[in-house]
Amino acid sequence: MLRNQTVPSVNERDIMGKKIKQIAIYGKGGIGKSTTTSNLTAALSEAGYKVMQFGCDPKSDSTNTLRGGTYIPTVLDTLREKTKVNAHEVVYEGFNGIYCVEAGGPAPGVGCAGRGIITAVQLFKQQNIFEELDLDIILYDVLGDVVCGGFAVPIREGIAQHVFTVSSSDFMSIYASNNLFKGISSYSRSGGALLGGVIANSINQPYSREIVDDFVKRTNTQVVEYVPRSVTVTQSELQGKTVIEAAPESAQADVYRSLAKKIAAHTESKVPTPLEVSELRVWAGQWGKHLLELEKQNGAAETSVKV
Amino acid sequence: MTKQPSMKSESISRVRYGCAIGAMHSAVAIPRTIPIADCGPGCADKQYVSLVFYNGFQGSGYGGGASLPSVNTTEKEVVFGGNERLRELIQASIKVMKADLFVVTTGCISDIVGDDVASVVGEFQKRNVPVVYAETGGFRGNNFIGHEEVVKSIVNQYVGDYDGPKEQGLVNVWTELPYQNTFWRGDLTEIKRILEGIGLKVNILFGHGSGGVEEWKTVPKAQFNLVLHTWLGLSVAEHLKVKYGQPFLHVPVIPIGSIGTGKFLREVGEYAGVDSEKVEAFIKDEETAYYRYIEEFSEFFSEYFFGVPSKFAVITDSAYALAITKFAVNNLGLIPVKTIITEDPPEEHRDAIREQFRNIADGVSVEVEFIEDGIVIEETIRHAERKPAILFGTTWDRDVAKEIGAGIVEVSFPASYEVVLSRSYVGYRGALSFLEKIFTVTISASA
Repeated sequence: MLRNQTVPSVNERDIMGKKIKQIAIYGKGGIGKSTTTSNLTAALSEAGYKVMQFGCDPKSDSTNTLRGGTYIPTVLDTLREKTKVNAHEVVYEGFNGIYCVEAGGPAPGVGCAGRGIITAVQLFKQQNIFEELDLDIILYDVLGDVVCGGFAVPIREGIAQHVFTVSSSDFMSIYASNNLFKGISSYSRSGGALLGGVIANSINQPYSREIVDDFVKRTNTQVVEYVPRSVTVTQSELQGKTVIEAAPESAQADVYRSLAKKIAAHTESKVPTPLEVSELRVWAGQWGKHLLELEKQNGAAETSVKV
Repeated sequence: MTKQPSMKSESISRVRYGCAIGAMHSAVAIPRTIPIADCGPGCADKQYVSLVFYNGFQGSGYGGGASLPSVNTTEKEVVFGGNERLRELIQASIKVMKADLFVVTTGCISDIVGDDVASVVGEFQKRNVPVVYAETGGFRGNNFIGHEEVVKSIVNQYVGDYDGPKEQGLVNVWTELPYQNTFWRGDLTEIKRILEGIGLKVNILFGHGSGGVEEWKTVPKAQFNLVLHTWLGLSVAEHLKVKYGQPFLHVPVIPIGSIGTGKFLREVGEYAGVDSEKVEAFIKDEETAYYRYIEEFSEFFSEYFFGVPSKFAVITDSAYALAITKFAVNNLGLIPVKTIITEDPPEEHRDAIREQFRNIADGVSVEVEFIEDGIVIEETIRHAERKPAILFGTTWDRDVAKEIGAGIVEVSFPASYEVVLSRSYVGYRGALSFLEKIFTVTISASA
C-alpha cells in the first residue's frame, strides 16, 4: 500500500518544513550501545515521535528489546535468498509502533560485513522508505570500532546528520570513541555527519564521570547524558524489553527520557578534535596513576578503619 | 654520479603490464593447464585482451581467453563470502573441462573479503583433483609478482616434496614472463634449443616446448635452476633452494647474437659441469650458420650505412632492455641514449639492475630510468638530450617516435602492430630475426 503512495522528494519535504532527523549511535562492542539506543528509541516514541531503529551490526540483535527479545529477519538474510528486496519486507514493528530493521551480515569469519552494511543502508535510501514511512527520527545503531569503511557508512554524506557515541570510562571504550572521532573528522570535510556528543554509560563512580568529562573537554565535544549502571536494565532485558516498557516508573527510565529529550532538541553538531594515539596513551597513563593513588588512599583509609 | 630518481606516478596512463591476476596466463602457458579465475566480471577478460590479444595477437591457447572459467563475483559473494560459489565452479570445471592441472587465481575481491580459498581448494586436493590456488589480488602487485606466486603455488601444492636423487644435467629454466613478453614462445623454444645443444636436459616449463605437468613433476630432480632474467624467478630459485636443496645460477642477460650467446653457453656449461668440448662444438656449429647470414647481411649494412641509425632508446622491461642494449651496443655498435625500465621491478633488485646497465661494454655505461607512466615516458623521450633514431618500445611509443622522426621496433607489451607466432629475438636464430626486423623498419622509413 505504501509503495503506491506519491512520495515527496527530500527537498520538497525540507520545504514543507519536515526533515527526518537521522542519528547514528556508535560505541565499542559490549559497552551498552544497543541497550542505550533501544531505550532512547522507546523514549522518543513514547514522547510522540515516529521512530525507526536501524541495527547496523552483523550480530543483528540491536532491536531485540523492542520486540520482546525476538530476532527479526535481516535485510541481508533476505538479500541472500533473492536478488531484489522490497525494503518493506524487512521493516518490523516493535514496542509502541517503532519500526525495527536489522542490516544483518555474513556468518562470523566469512564475507565482508562492512559491505553488507553499505548494501543494506543503500537499499533503504534508494527505495525512499524513510520518507514513505513519514518518519521523524531514525537511529542507526552501529558497531562502534569503525574497523572499515562499511561501518562508517552512516556518517558519510547523505545519511546521518548527527553522531553520538556511547562510552564508559574504560580506556578501550574511550579509544574506540577517539577512533570514531577521527572518522567523523575526516568525513566532515566531504559533508559527512558531525558529532553531537558522548553518552556516558555505566557511570557510577565519581572518577568515571571525571574521566569522560576530561576526554570530551580535550576532544572539543560534550557529554549529553550520564547513564548510571542499573539493575533495572538487566531485569528489563531479561524480559526482552526496554526499561521504558518494562519499568516505566523507574529512575533509569527517566534518565533515558531525559536523554531522548536532549537528542530530540539537539540541532548543532560539531567537528571533534580527536587525540593522537600517543597523546591518548599519555592521557590514559596520567589517569592510571591518579586512580592508583586514589586506590592507595582508599586502601589506607579502609586499613585504618579495620585497625 | 648521482642516482637517477625513480619516477612513479600516482596513476598510470598507457599501462605496460597487467595486474597480479594477469599471471593466470602463466597457467595458460603450461600445456593442458587451465586457470580458474576467482574474481569479478571483467578482470580475466581485461587481462586476456591486453596481455594476449593486443600483444602480438598470441591467441588464448588451450584454456585461456573466452574458455577460462570465472567465479564472476557479485555483491552476494562479497557480503556472504565466495567460498560456496568457488566450490561450485571448481566442481563444474573439473566435470566439463579436460585439464592436467587447474590453477585458481584469486582477484582483489576474494583477497580483500578474505575468502578461505585454501580450504576450498584443499577439499579438492584431498580428493586428488589436480588443482592449486595462488593469491593474485591486484593490490599485491603486477603480473610479474603474480607469476612468481603461481609458480610457487604449483611447486608447493602440486609438485610437492621430494628428497630423491638429483639428475645430473637436468636444468629448470626460469626466464621471460609468458604472454607479457610478446616473443616468449619463440624465445623459450630457442633457449631450450641452445641449452640442449650443449648437452643439458631442459625443463623449459612453459610454452610449446614444455612437457606440461609431467615436466613440472621433474622440477625437484633438476641438478640446478637457471634464472635467465634480471630479477624475475630469483625468488622462485631461492624457494627451490630451500625446498629441494637445489643451487641456482643467475644470468641477468638474456643472450642475443653470437657474442652474448657464446658467453652464456660457456657460463652455463661450466656451472653445470658439461664437457667443454661439447659446448665449444655446438657454439662453433651455431656460429658458422649465424655468420653465413651475417656475411650476406653485411652487404646491405655497408651499402645503407647512411640510413642506419646510430642512436637508440629502449623502453621495455629490465630483462629485455638489458638484452637488447647489450646486443645493439656490442654487435651493432649503436649508441644508447635513453633506457627506460617499465615493469616496476621490486625495489630490492633495482641497484643490481642499474649496475648491469653500467657495464654494457668497455666505456659504455647507461643510467636507466624506472618509469611506468606513458605520458612521462613520452615526455622523457621527447626532451632527451640526444635524439634516438630508433626506439625499441611498444605501440604506446609510436606517437613520440613519429614526432621525433625515429623508427620503432615493437618489442614489448603492448605490441598491437605486430603479429607474432614463433618469432624469437634471442639466442642465435632469434638474433637474425631481430636484425631482419630492425633493418626492415629502418629501410622502410623511406618507402
